[in-house]
Amino acid sequence: MAANARISASPLERHKRTSFYIFLAPWLIGFLLMQVVPIVWGFLISMSNRSAFPIAVRFVGLKNYIALFADAETLSSYWVSFVYTVLNTLIGVVTGFIFALLLDRELPGRGFFRTMLYFPYMIPLVAVGWIFRIFLERDTGFLNIVLVSLHIIPSGIPYMQNSPMGSILMLSFWQAGWSMIIFLGALSTVPRELYEVATIDGAGYGKRVRHIMLPLISPFIFFQLVMSFIYAMQAFIQPYILNPRPIRGNWVMTNPPPNDTFFVMSRAYYIITGQHKFAYGLAMLWVLFLVVLIFTILFVKFGGFWVYTESEERR
Amino acid sequence: MMTIQTRDRWSATLRFIALVIIVVIFFLPLVSMLVTSLKRMDELYRVPARVFPETPVWDNYVLAWTLVNFGKYLVNSIILTILYAVPAVMSSAFAGYAFSRFQVRESRAIFLVVLSTLMIPVMVTIMPLYMIMAKFQVTDQRGLWFVWGLAGIPFIIFLFRQFFSTIPASFEESARIDGAGRFRVFFSVMFPLVQTGLIVAAIFAFQWSWSEFLMPVLFLSDEKITLAVKVAMSYADQKENILYNVGMAGILYYTLPLVIVYFALQKRFVAGLLAGGLKG
Repeated sequence: MAANARISASPLERHKRTSFYIFLAPWLIGFLLMQVVPIVWGFLISMSNRSAFPIAVRFVGLKNYIALFADAETLSSYWVSFVYTVLNTLIGVVTGFIFALLLDRELPGRGFFRTMLYFPYMIPLVAVGWIFRIFLERDTGFLNIVLVSLHIIPSGIPYMQNSPMGSILMLSFWQAGWSMIIFLGALSTVPRELYEVATIDGAGYGKRVRHIMLPLISPFIFFQLVMSFIYAMQAFIQPYILNPRPIRGNWVMTNPPPNDTFFVMSRAYYIITGQHKFAYGLAMLWVLFLVVLIFTILFVKFGGFWVYTESEERR
Repeated sequence: MMTIQTRDRWSATLRFIALVIIVVIFFLPLVSMLVTSLKRMDELYRVPARVFPETPVWDNYVLAWTLVNFGKYLVNSIILTILYAVPAVMSSAFAGYAFSRFQVRESRAIFLVVLSTLMIPVMVTIMPLYMIMAKFQVTDQRGLWFVWGLAGIPFIIFLFRQFFSTIPASFEESARIDGAGRFRVFFSVMFPLVQTGLIVAAIFAFQWSWSEFLMPVLFLSDEKITLAVKVAMSYADQKENILYNVGMAGILYYTLPLVIVYFALQKRFVAGLLAGGLKG
C-alpha cells in the first residue's frame, strides 16, 4: 500500500485511477443521488418542524429527538423491534444451521431438499405475509381446519390475536433458507480430513461439531448475525399484514397494528404518511439508524472475540 | 460395534426422514394458499370446515385477473423491474470490476463505504427522497427506478469483486496488447467469464424490485403502481370485505414469475452463491 502511494504519479497509476473512476462512476452517481443527498436533507428536516405542507418551516434543533424520548409509545416501538430482531436472528441462524447440518453430508435427494428449503425465501414478503395471515386465521385458516379435522384441537385457536409477535416470528422459520445457503457454503470450506482425524481420535459427532465445525465457520455465523440484525431492525410490512385486528379491503396500510408489534419502521411509516408529522418521523428513523450503527460497530469491535481466525493478518 | 458404513447409512436415513417432515411442514402454508384459492367464500366460513374444497372454483383465478386490472399492474411491474435490474446489475458489475482490477490508494476506503451502506435503513433514504420529490411535484416518475438501480447492490458488488478476482490478469493483458480499449476488454473478455455471477445478480435484482413495496406505494400513482402494492392491499368486494380466495389466487399469480425463474435457474444460482459469495 505504502509503495503504491509513492509511485502514484506514474502514468500507469494515473491510467489505473482513471479506469477505477470510470467503472465506479455509475455507482457513484446512484450513491450520491439516492443516498447521500436524501440522508443529509433528511437529517436537516429532522431538526425542523416540517409537516406535509412546508409552511413556516423553522429550525427547532433537537426538539423532535427530545419529544421522541419522552413518548412512551414511540419508545415501545424500539423495544418491540429489538425483541423481534433478537428472536428473529436466533431463529433464522439456528434453523439455517440445522438445515445446513442435515444437508452437509451425502444424502439421497440432497439437491431437491436444498432447493425446497431455500424456496420460501424467494417469495416476496408481501405474499408471505398474506399466505401466513390466511394460514393462521382463526375461523378460515388452513392450520386450524387441519388440526380440528384431525381432532388434535377441539376448536380454532386465534393465533394472531393470542400472540401477534409469535405469528410474525413464524415467518423467520419459513425464510431460514438464506442462512442455510450461507452455512452450507461455510461448511463446504471445512476440510473433510479434519473430521476423519477427529473420528479416528474418538471424537463423537457432537464433539466434532463443537470443536471443529463451529470454530471454523464462526466468521460466517458472525456475518450472518450482523446482517440479520441490520435487516430485522428494519422490519416494516409484516405487522400491517399480520394485523390481528380485522382488516377491511384497501385499508391494510392505514390500519395501525397493535403496540405489541408496532415496529419502528412501521410506526415511522404511519407517522409520516398517516399523520404527516414528517420531521418527527424522520427523527425516529435517524434514531433507528444510530442504534443500528452503534450496535453494528460494537458487535464488530467486541463481539468478534470468539471468531476463530487462522492468522493475525485477517483482522 | 457398528461399522462406519452402517452407521453412515443410518444417519443418512434419519436425516432423510427429518428433511421429509420439514419439507412437508414448510409446504403447508403453500397448500393452504392453493386450497383457499379454490374455495367459495361461504365455504371458508362453514362449520365444520372441510380441508379440501367441495368442487374447485376455478372462477377465482379469473376474478383475480379481472377484479383489479391485473394485466396493467403486471406490465407496470415488468417495466419497473427491467428499469431497475439492468442498471443495478451493470453498475454492480462495473463497481466490482473496478474494485478487483484497479486498486488505487483510496479503493479500500471506498469499498468500506460500499459495505457500510448496508447499515443504512432503507427508510432513512427513501422517506426524505419522497419528501424532496413531493416538494417539486415530480414523484410519479419511473426514471427513479433507473437511478435506484445505479446505486447498485452492495452484496452483488462484493460478489462480482470475488468473481473478477478469480480471473487471471493475463487474460486482459493480451487483449490490451491487441489494442482493445477499457470497455472492449471488459465486455469481450471479462464479462463473459462471470456468467454465474450475472445469473445470481440478475435473480437478486429481479427478486428485489418485484418484491419492493415501499418505493411504489410512496412514489407512484395508481396508473403506474406495481403488483406488490395491489396484492398487498388485498382483493375486496364492494362492501370492502376481503376476498381471501381471490386474494390467494392473485398472490399465486404474483409469485409465479419468481418461482419459475428460481426453478429454471436454481442449479446455477445456488452454485454461484456458494462459489462466489462466501470465499472472501
